[in-house]
Amino acid sequence: MLKKVLIANRGEIAVRIIRALREMGIQSVAVYSTADAGALHVQLADQAVCIGEAPARDSYLNMENIISATMVTGADAIHPGFGFLSENHRFAELCEKCNIIFIGPPSGVIEKMGNKQKARETMKEAGIPVIPGSPEPLNDVEEARRQAQEIGYPVMIKAVLGGGGKGIRVAGTPEEFEAAFLAARAEAQASFGDGNMYLERFLEHPRHIEVQILADSQGHVIHLGERDCSIQRNHQKLIEESPCAAVDQELRENIGRMAVRAARAAGYVSAGTVEFLMMPDGTFYFMEMNTRIQVEHPVTEWVTGLDLIKAQIRIAMGQPLTVRQSDVKVRGHAIECRINAEDPERGFRPCPGTIRNLYLPGGCGVRVDTAAYSGSEIPPWYDSMIVKLIVHGEDRREAVARMRCALGEVVIEGVQTNADFLYEIINHPDFQAGRTDNTFIERVMEDIHESETGV
Amino acid sequence: MNLKQVFKKTWPGQETRDVEETLRPEVPVGIMKKCNHCRAAVMDEEVKEHHYICPKCHKYFRMPAYARIRSLADKDTFEEWDQGMTGRNPMNYARYERKLDALREKTGLDEAVVTGKARIMGHETVLCVMDSRFLMASMGSVVGEKIARAAERALEQRLPVVIFSCSGGARMQEGIVSLMQMVKTSAALKKHSEAGLLYISVLTDPVTGGVTASFAMQGDIILSEPGALVGFAGPRVIEQTIGQKLPAGFQTAEYLLEHGFIDAVVERESMRETLAFLLAVHEDKGRNRAAEERFSGSGTETSGMEDAETGGNLRSRQEHADTGGILRSEQEYAETGGALRDGRKYAETGGVLPDEQKYAELGEILPDEQKYADAGAILRDGREYGETGEIPPDGQEHVQTEAQDQEYELSGEMRDAWDRVQTARDRNRPSGQDFIDNLFTDFMEFHGDRCLGDDRALVGGVAYFMERPVTALAQIKGNTLKEQKQRHFGMTMPEGYRKALRLMLQAEKFRRPVICFVDTPGAFCGVEAEEHGQGEAIARNLYEMADLKTPVLAILIGEGGSGGALALAVANEVWMLENAVYSILSPEGFASILWKDSKRAGEAARIMGLTAPELKKMGIVERVLPEPEKLTKENMMEVCGSLRTGIEDFLGRYASLSGRELAELRYRRFRKM
Repeated sequence: MLKKVLIANRGEIAVRIIRALREMGIQSVAVYSTADAGALHVQLADQAVCIGEAPARDSYLNMENIISATMVTGADAIHPGFGFLSENHRFAELCEKCNIIFIGPPSGVIEKMGNKQKARETMKEAGIPVIPGSPEPLNDVEEARRQAQEIGYPVMIKAVLGGGGKGIRVAGTPEEFEAAFLAARAEAQASFGDGNMYLERFLEHPRHIEVQILADSQGHVIHLGERDCSIQRNHQKLIEESPCAAVDQELRENIGRMAVRAARAAGYVSAGTVEFLMMPDGTFYFMEMNTRIQVEHPVTEWVTGLDLIKAQIRIAMGQPLTVRQSDVKVRGHAIECRINAEDPERGFRPCPGTIRNLYLPGGCGVRVDTAAYSGSEIPPWYDSMIVKLIVHGEDRREAVARMRCALGEVVIEGVQTNADFLYEIINHPDFQAGRTDNTFIERVMEDIHESETGV
Repeated sequence: MNLKQVFKKTWPGQETRDVEETLRPEVPVGIMKKCNHCRAAVMDEEVKEHHYICPKCHKYFRMPAYARIRSLADKDTFEEWDQGMTGRNPMNYARYERKLDALREKTGLDEAVVTGKARIMGHETVLCVMDSRFLMASMGSVVGEKIARAAERALEQRLPVVIFSCSGGARMQEGIVSLMQMVKTSAALKKHSEAGLLYISVLTDPVTGGVTASFAMQGDIILSEPGALVGFAGPRVIEQTIGQKLPAGFQTAEYLLEHGFIDAVVERESMRETLAFLLAVHEDKGRNRAAEERFSGSGTETSGMEDAETGGNLRSRQEHADTGGILRSEQEYAETGGALRDGRKYAETGGVLPDEQKYAELGEILPDEQKYADAGAILRDGREYGETGEIPPDGQEHVQTEAQDQEYELSGEMRDAWDRVQTARDRNRPSGQDFIDNLFTDFMEFHGDRCLGDDRALVGGVAYFMERPVTALAQIKGNTLKEQKQRHFGMTMPEGYRKALRLMLQAEKFRRPVICFVDTPGAFCGVEAEEHGQGEAIARNLYEMADLKTPVLAILIGEGGSGGALALAVANEVWMLENAVYSILSPEGFASILWKDSKRAGEAARIMGLTAPELKKMGIVERVLPEPEKLTKENMMEVCGSLRTGIEDFLGRYASLSGRELAELRYRRFRKM
């Protein structure tokens, strides 16, 4: 049994974990940087230890100090939350070596799933559909053309050392292939000094679908349905919901089975997420596995009625799952909005500062996860997410309406936030109709831009 | 708002504590260590994977010998020598053997140094690495023996030696025997060096005492890791012995760099690449050794020049003559020779060059033909000699001057001399560094005169010119005021000349051509410069350069101020950019000495004959390179283009000459003036 758990994180997730621990009668130890001395998680926890200076590498990423804090406070386990050290296999390994329970999967699993190529191979072997692509780096155009034929068009050509959108081309047809490949290779050669390329099937308008899974150390694995996280800006999720409007029961069972198979293939233990890209016709491909609790876990909690943090802790204590797959029922519809301290008017630039005044909605079907309070500081050093607003309704329509009402009540003074921007998205006809994919935000932003400039 | 007291806790009564306490024993031993610099706890594994560098403060941990070898040598290429060698206890020092046994068990090492042969990025070398964990890597008989043997084997196999030093000095427990190791290692390395082989010494924290005072400081090239403590007497010894207060940063690698004792401070992450580069630069030995043997071989009758021709390095004499430069045909020589043509003219100009008869006298300086041949020189009779352009020919009429002058008339009218002086001094004119960067690749700067300091007014190092290693030297004035101060406006200090000489002798040892970019108002004049022996330094350069057995090319790119410039211009050929100037003194100085009025500098410039066309006419320089109206960094490509062709041609023409021939040609070049 755990008596005391150290939370190697900050912000709302630290608060969320402290609350779960308190309910379970387990003492909590907060760690904090010098910039977070007044933070809510520090005040809420039973104990708090300062682990370093404001920059994350000196504090929340400072493995040595976190381990020291664990030793000093006599904690038996560390909950890493998300971000920071949560998917650092070295940290997990270090905990293992020091006999500290790491509330998450074994370090070996984190390492394997953290390596894209290894993860892809593992899944392919387990019979899980992966995005078709070239197994080895390519340089020769003829060989590439042959592989492109196998992969199927449209095909994306990506530089092995790619980044910043350079060295990427899409060939829609075999006729376009040679020109696209040569252009991408030349660009890659010029930008990265390496002309080795990868080919991958280009997926148009996919949805980002992910399946929550729970696995205990006795080998039981269940899935808790899917989440649709297609509303993203620059690969940052903004709005997540469960279930996905485009997934019916059959597809849910199918994709859920695949997620369970993926978790088994990875040797997974603890709560985790298997991410897929789903095409309009319902075909889906494995993208990656997240070996941590996720920001958007509350939507799954609400539709399944399970407490994922507590489940994680129980699994870490070696207890078997108390629910079977057949017990899992998805009920109603939940939506989460991430309210960030950022300025949509200025390119979503982060807006650190002090929250002068705060009013957050409540009432039936509304949940708020936050570490913000009137007078709290938003330091410039960390993620800008300050509030997670989650609603639940009998169906999607009710959930959307409830989110609109709730967002309309949000008052945050002192720092700029994206609350109004989220409000606009919720009111967008395409969102209301559930017509969303990975490019949704781009389209909405173009619309906003056009209406503002009068084009 | 302090909510801490408001919230109900799971377990009341615990206080918030700041963590600064020591680790509890639950953390397994060896997983973490403490950095001695930033005091932070760091992961042992992370440190090991990153070259033993603290991930927090980036200071260095000392590196175990085998870890160092793994980080340098290509996989599975290290072949260890003299493994298991153990020594005696010459002084019967109490418990010495037991101490050594304990250390062997603890460290897994036999002794304080590991020696052997390895490849570093494909370049074969002897590699010796000391390990501080073994009695502070002090040098006893075994360390001395292993290093000496490594040097001897390197000599047998004609391999370079790289030694990573790290040592407290001579090993006290072995007494006088340890002291003798200093000589043993030095002597072995000297033999190795005498065979023209490379020794790179790399200093790592710390190097003191008898190791500093022997092999660590004997490298052809001395590198150091940043922050390494390097000295003879340790700081504590100095403070306790004479009570002197030590300056900040005393005896660090950086301090030594500034004081002229090491060539470069190299980060651990780039050590492997740096060594590979240096080994590659010095690896091109095959051809040079052949050349060396050819000329040092007993009773060689073949003329070097003929050899060179058959070797394909030199074109036919005629072609050769056509290529311009100093080795022209007799006729050409006559045409370009300027003032010194025949005895009469000679007398008129007050120059030095004799007519043919006088030449005969000159010839007497050189021994008779046989001796001359023995000396390895090539030029047996006057005619041949003349053909190579070396012999001052008899009085040929100066018929084609205009054609010869064409080169510098390309840019139009002759510019006023004073105008050229100001152009040459223009701050926006490209510096020697700019020429180095444009003409060469992979320039690596070597610092210091190994005596007093590192003069920033003179930059030198190795580089590749069209894939061939060269030694490049440049006088640099600096662009910004800060830089100008650092480089004292390009006025070279004695330290600068000594550094230049050191690098030229290094070039001579490794048969690298030397290319000097001359640009200085003059040698630095000041108390410090005098105290450091400015006159002696210049004199020494003239003396040694006259006899340097490698091709030397000097290019005047800006101001060629007096002896300060000459100390880099004792070359086989001297070239000038069109608007560069070269003179006995600055026009201001000239005017003030002769007319007691420095304001008449313009007038002085006009009569001093300091411009490139005038100097070419006088035969002081061989070539004038045209430049645009206003030469800047931006438009220097064209000048660099002609320089590149010119240097390629120069190197081609001199490549096959022996060291003695090169020195001889240089001797005659100046002898005629």
